[in-house]
Amino acid sequence: MNLLQAAGPLSVSSGEGQSYSGVNEKADLMRQDELAAAEQKNASPSDLGAHDDARALVRLIQCSRCSLPFRMPVTLPCGNTICRACVPQSHEREHISYPDLPGRRQAFRCPFQQCAEEHPVSDCNVDVVLTKLMDSIAEVVAKHASAIERTPAALEAAERWDEGVSLPEKMATQEALAGRLVTTYLLAAEGKLARDAQMDYLPTPEVSGNESAMDVTILSELLETTQREVDCQVCYNLMLDPVTTFCGHTLCRNCLARVLDHSQHCPVCRRGLSIAPSLHSQASNKTLVNLLNGLCPEAVSARAEAVALEEAGGEGGLNTSLFVCTLGFPNQPTFLRIFEPRYRLMLRRCVEGSKEFGMLMYNRYLEPQGDLGPVHFYHYGIMLRIIHSQLLADGTSLIETRGAYRFRVKAHGVMDGYAVGNVERLDDVPLVEEERLEAEETSLPPAAEDDLAGQLTRMSTKDLLALGQDFIVRMQARSANWLQQRVLDIHGLPPDDAAMFPYWFASVLPISDEEKYKLMGTTTVRQRLKITASWIRRIESQRWYQSNSCQIL
Amino acid sequence: MAAPLPKRIIKETERLQSEPVPGISAEPHEENARYFDVKVDGPSGSCYEGGEFQLELFLPDDYPMCPPRIRFLTKIYHPNIDRLGRICLDVLKNNWSPALQIRTILLSIQALLGAPNPEDPLNEAVAKQWKENQPEAIKTAREWTTLYAQKK
Ligand SMILES: [Zn+2]
Ligand SMILES: [Zn+2]
Ligand SMILES: [Zn+2]
Ligand SMILES: [Zn+2]
Repeated sequence: MNLLQAAGPLSVSSGEGQSYSGVNEKADLMRQDELAAAEQKNASPSDLGAHDDARALVRLIQCSRCSLPFRMPVTLPCGNTICRACVPQSHEREHISYPDLPGRRQAFRCPFQQCAEEHPVSDCNVDVVLTKLMDSIAEVVAKHASAIERTPAALEAAERWDEGVSLPEKMATQEALAGRLVTTYLLAAEGKLARDAQMDYLPTPEVSGNESAMDVTILSELLETTQREVDCQVCYNLMLDPVTTFCGHTLCRNCLARVLDHSQHCPVCRRGLSIAPSLHSQASNKTLVNLLNGLCPEAVSARAEAVALEEAGGEGGLNTSLFVCTLGFPNQPTFLRIFEPRYRLMLRRCVEGSKEFGMLMYNRYLEPQGDLGPVHFYHYGIMLRIIHSQLLADGTSLIETRGAYRFRVKAHGVMDGYAVGNVERLDDVPLVEEERLEAEETSLPPAAEDDLAGQLTRMSTKDLLALGQDFIVRMQARSANWLQQRVLDIHGLPPDDAAMFPYWFASVLPISDEEKYKLMGTTTVRQRLKITASWIRRIESQRWYQSNSCQIL
Repeated sequence: MAAPLPKRIIKETERLQSEPVPGISAEPHEENARYFDVKVDGPSGSCYEGGEFQLELFLPDDYPMCPPRIRFLTKIYHPNIDRLGRICLDVLKNNWSPALQIRTILLSIQALLGAPNPEDPLNEAVAKQWKENQPEAIKTAREWTTLYAQKK
């Protein structure tokens, strides 16, 4: 297909409104990422034109490592995308004992400078939506490329336009074209167009009108064929702020959060999604975000507005019922007896509605609670899911609940006598951060002999968990009354999951609620395990002096 | 009180009508768009062939986070369907995922008619008969199909 021929230095033709200077100037000043970001922030929808922005459009799907259109794209945990073949060599990670799943031992250094983090190999699977998009694009291009011999045009390439350095490169002219989009894509697919390279198209007056119309046709055809791929499989709307899971499946951020409230499995492939991924720190799929913003900005902003409207009546307002009572933990049962009419009303609304309400611990010493000041509750609480409720003849309700997740109260008020609030879910940091922390802490130089906290800090996550589990075994051997069968019937056996163990431990251990509350604001598994380990150390030191006494803390 | 119908339910309903599945129909009620009248044809080659089975399907408030509720209205002789028409199907329980939809659930139910599984019974009596005397069980299923599942 004789695409390129060497030719003289670059020259931008003027006239016929075909000059590319506008785009060129912008491009000279900014890297493409910044360009995309600027486009994103632009409040008024500004889509990329099929013809005028052909180069920018193709760049959106060019791998930043190999410059080819993505081949089996992998979206990394940082939200950047590269071809699977462009994922760097992996290495063995050290000082990591939790969760120690197969595949998490191997990692590679992220090639994107803004990230440069270590990504576990198992967190990087082929991005299903982007792969389908790339296939559709290739199909549409192939269909139109057959017309290539019949549409004469010319183009010039290319100049290094990053770093502000102009490196005159070979200029190319092309005899046959099927519009700028197809031409540019094909050049990229043949490895002849660096991602950073700019292109100038020489106008051919007699066909420019046709060419432009062809680009528009091709782009709308592309949009049509890819429409269903960019619909979220949960809400059936255009994906809003798409987030890609480690298994390569993509949903709206809000939809994924809702899914995670109900299950720890990917809705598409049912693979376990490891510990509650804090969606706050989960990156958006940047390639997809940029593509959607570039191709259908009106649809994106319409979706964002609709969701904002929906949430104004919900999320933004004081939409969570709050019950100020006692402490509860994730995954642990709480049994409540509700008899005050205002709480009966609250309960009825919850049972009919979301089946959830927040429970907060009573702040009897009026300790200050962050921005809220000295309020009558502690600001970290537990979202309780109602499992069973029984209304007695006198109007009292007995309810069985289970802790779903922790939250922090951002604002609060009163509705019909009971507290309501705007709450923010509190999750653990992502697994990678947890692992990084462990590696860092366990590699510290040894702590002094009397530095108890320092010693705990240097223990591996696995050992911290074992410390707790061993303690339980020893206490059971001594028939500690807080580990009676009755207690285990309610709370279950000690969980093997290091993330959950501290919650179980705090639920059964007879120490003050104020002490247990320390777990509520934690965001790492290690932080919680260190707290439980410090309780154990203190209990043991007391026992040392008081032999058989069972008084604890 | 009545919240607007989520886009997802609207789209699913539209697609069920614009791209119908052969042998399956699902019509929403006019006064409650979350409630569907469903008809499933017995798969050809099965002992339910020739029958048209009516079911009711309801999309709860938390759909698609929770599965649709569905049961047979037509009497059917099947080891995984009980006398009340309740269906023993994993995707309607623990294996539900919000990526599934009404269409895939109805297809699973049609497949269940084609492949009764007496090893995981909901109707013990039918399952017992199915295991001990399969020809007799199939004969009964055919008779019930003729008796109760005639196209109207
Ligand atoms: Zn990265
Ligand atoms: Zn690549
Ligand atoms: Zn969605
Ligand atoms: Zn998945």
